[in-house]
Amino acid sequence: MSAPDEQRTREFESEALPHLDALYGLGLRLTGGDESAAQDLVQETMLRAYRAWDSFELGSNCRSWLMTILRNTFINDYRKRKNRPAGVDYDEVAERPVFMDAKSTDPEGKFFGRLIDREVITAIESLPIDFRIPLVLADVEGLGYQEIADLLEVPVGTVKSRLFRARRRLQRVLYEYAIEMGYIR
Amino acid sequence: MSEQEMGKGDKDEMISCQEALEKVYEYLDGELGSPDAEKVREHVKICKNCYPLFDFERAFLDYVREKGFAEEASGELLERVQAIVREAG
Repeated sequence: MSAPDEQRTREFESEALPHLDALYGLGLRLTGGDESAAQDLVQETMLRAYRAWDSFELGSNCRSWLMTILRNTFINDYRKRKNRPAGVDYDEVAERPVFMDAKSTDPEGKFFGRLIDREVITAIESLPIDFRIPLVLADVEGLGYQEIADLLEVPVGTVKSRLFRARRRLQRVLYEYAIEMGYIR
Repeated sequence: MSEQEMGKGDKDEMISCQEALEKVYEYLDGELGSPDAEKVREHVKICKNCYPLFDFERAFLDYVREKGFAEEASGELLERVQAIVREAG
């Protein structure tokens, strides 16, 4: 390795590698907790980031730059596999809001705060992929509907309805878990 | 009735609980444009069935946003990434 390359590598290592745990966290959320897929995704992200390192402006937000590369890498692959058999039951029946069941015992949704952090993460990761991705992009990454639609190459209406159902499913899973654990009586 | 008056009439018309319910997340996400957002806001302000539901949904979304992301120990991934980078360099 030549001296400028050596310096470039050292710079990359000191700027990018500290974000590895954050990237791996996002990778796990997107892949549904698949450790090996998430590791591959992080490696691919880092390799792309390293190759594009000259375009990164030192001093700007490295973490969000890396997160964007990871997200795009994952979604490109997801879009390519679009013709796979549908893993989601696309029935049109909207899920009943948990509020209807909880309003007599916990109308303010206090039970959410009693859940352990790991429980919501596991619940997100176990959502079907077509529901999980819009939810992670909206609620974990904070993207808007249009941005998600553009990334996934689907109409905004599709994002809206998948996000709606993803959230309803997620709150149902958390509610049932909270009952099971005795967080709600 | 002139067109202008009709328009005004539509705006003041109260939406149903079902319509408010269907738009709850769009509203809370700030994705609902005017005048739909005003219609939902007006409904929720006076509907005793809907305002607790909207508060509940807001608590749920706040919770997911706060807890939905966690860093994860990447362990031996660090060494693998270092090796890849050194090789690529």
